[in-house]
Amino acid sequence: MKIYRFRALVLLAVFVSTLLAGCSAGAGTQEIDKPEKPLVILEWTGYEVTEYPQFFVPFSDKYGDNINDYVNVSVFGDDAEAFAKVQSGFKADIVHPCSSWWGLYVESGLVQPLDVSRIAEWENIPEAFREPGKFNGQYYFVPWDWYFEALLVRTDLVPEMPTSLADLWDPVYARHVSLWDNGEVSFAMAALAFGIDPFNTTPEQNEFVKQKLIEIKPNLLTYWLDYTQAIELSASGDAWIVASAWQDTWSVLVDEGYEVAYLEPEEGYLAGVCGYGIGTNNNNLDLTYEFLNAAIDPHSMANFTNEYWYGAANFAANEFIDEGAAVLLQLDDFENVLKNTRFYPPLTAERRDLLSDLWNEVKAAP
Amino acid sequence: MRDETSLNPPVSIKDGRGGIEKKLTGIPRKSQLALLVAPSALWLIILLVLPLITMIGLSFQKSAFGPGSDVFTFASYLNFWQNSAYQGLLGKSLWISLVVAVMSIVLAYPVAYFLAFHAGDKQGMLLNILIIPAWTSFLLRVLAWRLILGSNGLLNTFLIWLGVIQEPISGLFYSVNAVIITLVYIWIPFAALPIYVALLRIEPGLLEAASDLGARPWQGFFKVTLPLSIPGVLAAFLYVFIPTVGEYVTPALVGGPNGLMIGNIIWDQFMRGLDWPMGATLSLIVMLIVLLPLMFIAKAAQQTGLFGGKSE
Repeated sequence: MKIYRFRALVLLAVFVSTLLAGCSAGAGTQEIDKPEKPLVILEWTGYEVTEYPQFFVPFSDKYGDNINDYVNVSVFGDDAEAFAKVQSGFKADIVHPCSSWWGLYVESGLVQPLDVSRIAEWENIPEAFREPGKFNGQYYFVPWDWYFEALLVRTDLVPEMPTSLADLWDPVYARHVSLWDNGEVSFAMAALAFGIDPFNTTPEQNEFVKQKLIEIKPNLLTYWLDYTQAIELSASGDAWIVASAWQDTWSVLVDEGYEVAYLEPEEGYLAGVCGYGIGTNNNNLDLTYEFLNAAIDPHSMANFTNEYWYGAANFAANEFIDEGAAVLLQLDDFENVLKNTRFYPPLTAERRDLLSDLWNEVKAAP
Repeated sequence: MRDETSLNPPVSIKDGRGGIEKKLTGIPRKSQLALLVAPSALWLIILLVLPLITMIGLSFQKSAFGPGSDVFTFASYLNFWQNSAYQGLLGKSLWISLVVAVMSIVLAYPVAYFLAFHAGDKQGMLLNILIIPAWTSFLLRVLAWRLILGSNGLLNTFLIWLGVIQEPISGLFYSVNAVIITLVYIWIPFAALPIYVALLRIEPGLLEAASDLGARPWQGFFKVTLPLSIPGVLAAFLYVFIPTVGEYVTPALVGGPNGLMIGNIIWDQFMRGLDWPMGATLSLIVMLIVLLPLMFIAKAAQQTGLFGGKSE
């Protein structure tokens, strides 16, 4: 978390300095369609167009040499953090939240409706991903990536393999489990483990889940804050099981030769889809749609999936996806994925507050 | 320098000085003072006083954004009053800070004592060695403890090599103890400095007198040195205790599920919970709880002349 903030700061400093250098150096030359100011993109760490041009091929091919004239990327590591930033006045032209947060952005008037006719690949995005972004008859988000939340297990260290989320409470894993420091996600995980519908709970059930999250503490090593920490905890062997882990965490550990499994719990995967929204005050829509079309381009998306093993929302990308990632994502039987997986629905503000308070009380509890 | 010039004042310098004095005396004394104070006062007003007022205002709002931001309410204070989890965490944070402050002082005192009385002409060099670690980033020093305390860390590997333990001790890291160990390590140099200064101010003649009057060395220490160094010890205590209560980084990095402190919850309320009123309320409560005893001690110290203030 902290490291990221530091990195973001360094990145920002680099940006500003390159921007300044670029301005002074390029003052003489005239770019035809150079925007007055670059698009401000609020992006997940590890997705920045400036660092990962291969995820936005047509855009970075066209603007690659002067990319900093066209975009200015700020990064975040957690949806709540990004929403707080935008809500408190950060003017982002393009945002990239996940489905649970979509409703909150629309409700707070932070994004504008999409003109879907300007998105070439719109029809190749399955309805299951598009619909959560539809509010009052209009679409607000271009679904881009989708992910699972599952158990990342060090098979060489666990005394016995877990099979379900409920196993995390088993004392054989004492002090070797790590949960995500995220109220919404850890609540859903715990609710699912005890047979409660994670997205519709009664006050009694909320209290029950809260007690369960306090009860699990002796089994916890620590909470993880972002995916680098999740990787480090698993790699060092301190955390045998990392809960709510994403595919990219797994892919990194496998690449480095660790004996890790990415386990679908008996209760089924929890999952989410994330997508790009256009900030309310964004008036450079031409460049914005160019960026969005470049992102959703089948080759860009396939590059992304092959690197991180996340799902691509554009199903036209599937034919370019490596076998390993395709098997993990069960791309040949997506209907089945939809049936057995719980995708996070958009949260309401009340529920967000409730889960945030509940989680803080869990963490504050002795 | 000053002696040299007064002994043999070169004409040019004298003239130059006179010029400056004339310039300064041209301005009335009051505005002279205002001119000197203005930069730092402005700084403090913009970065301390105004934010503090904003925070107080925020703590009485219903929400930080939207229509709720105009509603005046005591809800956040009420929420804290009824929330035993937050109260417990505040209590724990105060307890951790107390332990850290006391341990830092106990460990820093001998260091300061050695520096002041036994280091001789190596004093300057040793003082630098004491301070050098503080040049490294705070964050890096906290992270370094991961290498030491982790289950495959230096300490465990060393103990296993010695044969003292067979299995790595896992309770070392991600716990309250890890937070305390890390913070004590970080604060020792800062606790040592005020004690060192207090010890330097003790006149050697007093100790000689004590031993002339038949006091053994330990009696001399307890009856002369220790009481006279109390102002330094108190300063060190406040120096460590106050910032530790609001500590956020260390518990976040090494605290684990049970080592979190109130600062982490405040951060969460602001950065992710979006409940700025609650975050402001918690911050203000922490500040009050720390400030009240501080003011009390400061007042008592001034009356007794403990800090070398006016005692007449």
